[in-house]
Amino acid sequence: MCGIAGVVSFHPIADRLYEGVRHLEYRGYDSCGIAFIEDHHHITIRKDIGTVDEVDGKEQIRRLTAQVGIAHTRWATHGKVTRQNAHPHQSCHGEFAVVHNGIIANYKTLRDQLARTGHKFRSETDTETIAHLIEQRHSECGDVERALVSALRELEGSYALAMISSHDPERIFCARHESPLIIGVGNESNYVGSDFNAFIDYTKDTVILDDGEYGVISRDSYSVKSLRTGEVIDKEITVVPWDSELSRKGGYPHYMLKEIHEQPQAVRTALSIPADEIAAVADMMQDARRVYLLGVGTTYYVALLGQYLLAAVADMDVAALSSDEFRHLDKSDAQSVVLAISQSGETYDTLMSLRHAKGRRAKTAAIVNMVGSSIARMVDRVILQGSGPEVCVVSTKAALAQMILLARLALELGSRRGALSAATRRAHEAALAALPEEIETILNEKSGLIRAAAYRHAQVQNWLFLGRGIYYPIALEAALKMKEVTYVHAEGMAGGFLKHGTLSLVDDKMYTLVFVPPASAGELHSMTLSSVEEVKARGGFVFGFTSNGADDMFDECVGFASGHEFTAPFLPLVAAQLLAYFTATALHRNVDKPRSLAKSVTVA
Amino acid sequence: MKALILTAGAGRNLVPFSETRPKAMTVVGGGPLMARTLAHLREVGVTDVTVVLGQAGEKVKAAFEDGQDFGVHITYVEQGPQGGIVDAILGARGRFIPGEYFILVYGDVVTSANPFHQALQSFNSFKAPIACVCLPGPPTVRYGNVYLSGTRITRIVEKPTTAGLGNYVLAGVFILPVEVFSLMEQAEGDMEEVFGRLVRAPGLNASIWEGGWIDIEYPWDILAANRMVMDTWEEASISRHAVIDGNVTLSGPVRIERGSVIKAGAVLAGPCYIGRNCYVGNNVLVRSYSSLGPGSSIGYGVELKNCVLLGNARIGRLSFVGDSVIGENVDIGSGTMTINGNMDRSPVSVDIRGESIDSGLVKVGSFIGDDVRIGAGNTLAAGTLLRPNTTVPHHATVSAR
Repeated sequence: MCGIAGVVSFHPIADRLYEGVRHLEYRGYDSCGIAFIEDHHHITIRKDIGTVDEVDGKEQIRRLTAQVGIAHTRWATHGKVTRQNAHPHQSCHGEFAVVHNGIIANYKTLRDQLARTGHKFRSETDTETIAHLIEQRHSECGDVERALVSALRELEGSYALAMISSHDPERIFCARHESPLIIGVGNESNYVGSDFNAFIDYTKDTVILDDGEYGVISRDSYSVKSLRTGEVIDKEITVVPWDSELSRKGGYPHYMLKEIHEQPQAVRTALSIPADEIAAVADMMQDARRVYLLGVGTTYYVALLGQYLLAAVADMDVAALSSDEFRHLDKSDAQSVVLAISQSGETYDTLMSLRHAKGRRAKTAAIVNMVGSSIARMVDRVILQGSGPEVCVVSTKAALAQMILLARLALELGSRRGALSAATRRAHEAALAALPEEIETILNEKSGLIRAAAYRHAQVQNWLFLGRGIYYPIALEAALKMKEVTYVHAEGMAGGFLKHGTLSLVDDKMYTLVFVPPASAGELHSMTLSSVEEVKARGGFVFGFTSNGADDMFDECVGFASGHEFTAPFLPLVAAQLLAYFTATALHRNVDKPRSLAKSVTVA
Repeated sequence: MKALILTAGAGRNLVPFSETRPKAMTVVGGGPLMARTLAHLREVGVTDVTVVLGQAGEKVKAAFEDGQDFGVHITYVEQGPQGGIVDAILGARGRFIPGEYFILVYGDVVTSANPFHQALQSFNSFKAPIACVCLPGPPTVRYGNVYLSGTRITRIVEKPTTAGLGNYVLAGVFILPVEVFSLMEQAEGDMEEVFGRLVRAPGLNASIWEGGWIDIEYPWDILAANRMVMDTWEEASISRHAVIDGNVTLSGPVRIERGSVIKAGAVLAGPCYIGRNCYVGNNVLVRSYSSLGPGSSIGYGVELKNCVLLGNARIGRLSFVGDSVIGENVDIGSGTMTINGNMDRSPVSVDIRGESIDSGLVKVGSFIGDDVRIGAGNTLAAGTLLRPNTTVPHHATVSAR
């Protein structure tokens, strides 16, 4: 998981390259570097460990006057975080420089072969092998493009890469296989990047590379060719639908808070997606013999919530599976539907699971945020959620919008399957329509209460997040938010599961957050309260997210007025996002880029 | 960009200290609040500052003069003879150029870091009026409650009546178009009214401040603000012109200014601040979050804990001063004890202008106004408040009310 940016222009590119790679930092940020053509004939490299700003401080990247260059921000997979292992990597004679995102499966074999022919390796990375391999092929054929093509054909695994060469100093070469890469078409400048954040300030016209394609980019033209046949492919220009201002923080201290506050809008957008797009996916699922909902991390919990919704509303038996484990359980066939959920549309595990299912001839669909992403393009039907850019590594608005789309899907299927009366459906839809305003009320009137609670309890080391029924996936997702952004241990658990083991952990140092359904939920409400009693009996501190406000049962509680049982579970989720956010600020965490995490995980 | 600092608020709940100085001269982290505001402004390149003065404004003038020592240029605007704030603000109007934006700062808010960086960043992204907002922690009935949609402020509830809300509130830092002066005139200086009108047209954008923020309203807020500022200190610093005996123990971020003398056996636990020309006697214990204003003299064996001495205090030997704020030129006789909590650990109440106000704090000592003289061997109850110039005889016991 890394970020790639490249610019070729009639004008100095240092600022644009620096900004581009900085906007890709969410893809990884343990080291970074750039390679550029100096004096029209040789390659210079500046790289080091640290964030883009730190490396710029040491290497003065923005002072450069070059007009052709590529840059990289790294999230280590092969080799430690060292200056040596930072990209770009060069060949022996420094005539080729490569930046790469992905994993080359057969790099050891290639490396051994190259070492035998005299190539000297300076790093532990798979990427350096590519640079040497291209140099080797160039020494045989004398043409940069042919050398690249020949080298790429030998690579196994996944890659998105960009390359410059002193033998062809006016152009950038790029290619992709199973890792994302797009070209930006500008005015007197052209760009390449892992996604459009690399160049959105300069152009919104993009050309999306597909697997097995490579691109050659110069100042005033670009071409995309097939790696197999070498023929030029006529690609459409895709215009990025949102502008860069949206992906800036605006008046917020962190992207996470910004994106939490954008949820009313994300829900409104999800509700305004045309019904026929939902219906098209419902068509597939209605007649399917088997339905899998797929996601990993947050999106797995979204899928799990979908499973509860489909069971309750549409009387459907579907399986939510985590896509990293999917292949072990996949029993799909031509009568099956696999519905994947992914914000980035590039998640490696989900991509591989979809390939696996396609191999078994299953029909595929997806809910995706990123236009033109791999998953969006590979499935039979896609619902683009249109939540706008989500920059914080921790997903908030994208996940909530996905849940809303699954709710709409459940309503559609419920009607078709006769599990839902027209009146109930109308009531549920009215509840969804009222949700954005209810969320806004929480953001406005409860933020201070939740912040105060977060600061009071910031030193708590262990949290248990309890929920029953549909509040169980909510508890799981809330606990994941807490873990990933605060580094505090939080375990999501079904209320009934607690007494079968985990209850032995509960003491006065273990804090419990309980997601309490409204009293109108009947048994679900009373059973949740019985879990609270179990915790209290062991001296545990119980923090309640309730729908009715204060209740003596809890040591502390925050209440959310919910208009309708159908949408009530989403309100405490928003509150839990705020709790995680404020706990993270109380602990001075790196909110938008938590340690060890990357926005979209495109590696196995 | 230019800045306008409002220091004219009467601060009537900040007794006894507001009786003799404006709130902006309240000391936190070893210096007056306004020095901190000026430093923050200079950091973001704002050096043309207009200060609106109110009651006891001459103290501000005396401390900051033309601003040269603080790297800024200050113009003062005073209230009219009737004490109307409108006159003062309109007096400042001529300093600003129509069509431009300016920074408006309330003189009585303390933040844990420079708030202007983020305010300007927000302004650059919106190119429209900006109000910094923050979450002060409940209850927020002290403030106007802000309602947001995204970062757009949709309404401000001036006197909220609903209990138990946790809204964002105005943080006292704004970036506004100069045309706002006409609104101020129409609203007769009622700033809440001004912001209400701004929200309706042309609109007000929120910049959310997530750092520490304290609005100094009551005297115990001084201690909280002092603590917040000292918590940001990373390093100790000792003037080369301070004299420190042998056998003095220093730990943590201790700041000692020029001319101070620390005698043998003293223990200073940082963060703490010893201003210019202080005398810290033998075996004195200065515990963390204590701040000694310039010229203070602390006798043998005194213990200070979480307290702010505004300056020129004299504390006699074997006294204890904790969780307290001590005004200028206060003389405390030897063996004096400030009791700093109720026996049942219930929150301490303080008599503020005839009304008993619950501080919400378990540890509260005394608030002693300027020029107070306290005889030897006294015991001051938790929450004692002494007005300026009070004299307490030897061996008296002062109850809180």
